Amino acid sequence: MTAAARAAGVRTRALRLDPRAKLTMLAVANVLMFLHAGPAAQSLAVVLFSLPLLFGGKAAAGVRMLAVYGVLCAVEWASALGVDRLPWLHIAGATAAGVCMMMPCLTAGMAMFATTRPGDMVCAMRRMRAPDALVIPVVVMMRFFPTIRHDYRLIRQSLRLRGFAGGGMALARHPLRSLEYILVPLLMNAANVARDLTVAGLARGLGAPGEPTSMVELRMRAVDWLAVALSLAPLAVAAVTG
Amino acid sequence: MDSTALCTLRDCTFAYSGEGAALRNVTLHVRAGELVMLVGPSGCGKTTATRLVNGLAPRHFTGTLTGHACTGGLEASRAPLESHARVVGSVFQNPKTQYFHARSTDELAFPCENAGMPAPQIRERVRQVAARFGIADLLDRAIVNLSGGQQQRFAVASAAVLEPAVMVLDEPTSNLDTASMARLHGMIAALKADGVAIVIAEHRLAWCADLVDRYCVFDGGELLGTYTAREFEALPATQREAWGLRALDVSEDRARIAALARAPHTSHGEGTPVLGTRGLEVGYRKRALFRRGVEFSLRIPDVDVYGGQIVGIMGRNGAGKSTFARTLCGLQAPLAGTVELGGESARASALSRAAALVMQDVHYQLFAESVRAEVMLETVQAGGELAAAREQCDALLGELDLLDVADRHPMSLSGGQKQRLAIAVALMGKKRFVVLDEPTSGLDRAHMMQVGALLRELADRGVAVLVITHDDELAAHWCDRILALD
Repeated sequence: MTAAARAAGVRTRALRLDPRAKLTMLAVANVLMFLHAGPAAQSLAVVLFSLPLLFGGKAAAGVRMLAVYGVLCAVEWASALGVDRLPWLHIAGATAAGVCMMMPCLTAGMAMFATTRPGDMVCAMRRMRAPDALVIPVVVMMRFFPTIRHDYRLIRQSLRLRGFAGGGMALARHPLRSLEYILVPLLMNAANVARDLTVAGLARGLGAPGEPTSMVELRMRAVDWLAVALSLAPLAVAAVTG
Repeated sequence: MDSTALCTLRDCTFAYSGEGAALRNVTLHVRAGELVMLVGPSGCGKTTATRLVNGLAPRHFTGTLTGHACTGGLEASRAPLESHARVVGSVFQNPKTQYFHARSTDELAFPCENAGMPAPQIRERVRQVAARFGIADLLDRAIVNLSGGQQQRFAVASAAVLEPAVMVLDEPTSNLDTASMARLHGMIAALKADGVAIVIAEHRLAWCADLVDRYCVFDGGELLGTYTAREFEALPATQREAWGLRALDVSEDRARIAALARAPHTSHGEGTPVLGTRGLEVGYRKRALFRRGVEFSLRIPDVDVYGGQIVGIMGRNGAGKSTFARTLCGLQAPLAGTVELGGESARASALSRAAALVMQDVHYQLFAESVRAEVMLETVQAGGELAAAREQCDALLGELDLLDVADRHPMSLSGGQKQRLAIAVALMGKKRFVVLDEPTSGLDRAHMMQVGALLRELADRGVAVLVITHDDELAAHWCDRILALD
């Protein structure tokens, strides 16, 4: 089987949720964070919101999200056990708890951006009557995330050739310097890429009046409504457990 | 006025907001089935002319337009930009920053989706356009994994998917190899045969010279003259060079490159080579959840590179030239074999200390707040002797023609100045070899020759220079040897 055929196969088997279902998840995740939802609602949300990743052809990302959440929970739990003897563990516990609180949002956001075609996003947002001033930046941003990783790698490589370590240790030892050396080129390049992408998008009719369509018909199917219903479950749990 | 023209600029003067006129009193027209090539040195106004044709100026790139710019019945100053998208297809210079989607099929569907076409019709149109341009085998692939040449073919196909009456291409071949340019030629020929009016702004002339009907020569925002293809070819080559244009015919250059590539790659100079490869295989491994294995690999013939030499590394888009360069610089582990430094097998860290890399996007490698601080960065961080270093730095900046801009921010420099700054940094760091990645893409003839002279100067200081390039003219004029990776 050729690589192309395999890729195509993966694609047809992958779960493809309507972007509006995923937007619902993102909204619920934000409400949970706002409400400081308890551990039951939080863990349920992380597991539920990683499902679009696990079944949408991004299993590795889904597993990574769950693993990070698992480690954070373990750190929180372990520091709670040992905090009487080692008071400084409190810092680790508090940090872990803080990041845990953001995990539903991060997972839902990841699911949103990693498994949605930009075209579908345009189509869904237009159906929701979102204005162009919102649609175009969101679509450019979606295209934009993967390039940041690529840029970051290039910058670290050139730092290494200049004799500066660009890795995590250097970041810890000289946080300000590393941040400056990495962020300035990253932002400069980001500005250039964003300009080029905007031009390319406009020239392909992005932002044209009238309702855009999607190559694959976009509508809320049973599975999408099911996803919306499920994504509300953590809210119910939060309401019950307080 | 020519009533049959699909695309007309009549007495157009355009100034970007807050700047002087980028285009002055330009008149040109393109009829159905005609190909008009806009040529001239960098900054001559040809890109601005393409923007008037596809409506990006003055709608997106705002400014003041006087005169009459009309494409397919749409006035650039009146019609909204979105309506231009159906009439004009646009292709830009950089293949990497003009696709929106992760999958190639989605990219072709994108203009149709924006135009509100029903889904079955979109699928049919995508299939048709892929078949017509011979890219059906590239459908449903991740665009990131396509080579620059393949990406550019998708950019042309996606610009043509709505069957526009006019196509505008702004330096489409800047990043392309010979084979990709030949493929692009085929696509342009098909569009021309279908009666599309085509406008191309380019430095490189050879790849589609047989299709051009008229050449419009620009300089300093003015249209110096319009020549039919026959008149243009009859001009003396020195006249075209004086306008900053690339060669119309690169067959001699290619013959020289082929001869250089046939020469033996080892034992080719005096003394010990700076850099050598033995049984080297470069590539990268797959990174997925449960799969391991080699995703891409390339065998490199054994090569020795001596100080003072310029070695061109050529090969098609996606052949693995950049992977090879990263391996030489110690940024990536080889799959097999060794890289030797001064005749001895070297570890990655030793290679990184000896190497400088001048990237195609130079702005990834400039970090300081001024040109002088950039050159002094390592010395300052290492706590070295500042006064002596500053003297040496200013001497270098003087030699590289950067002393006037020594106090400016590196990001405010022109592309060529940034390149020279990266080279000043390499010289300051006493690097033993310098790898340059496509230093002449998108440059006119004068700037290309400047880069060539700079490479020679670098080599004359005893540095081994390796240059990754698709540029036949750079390779034929300036390289001592060619390593063809195919």
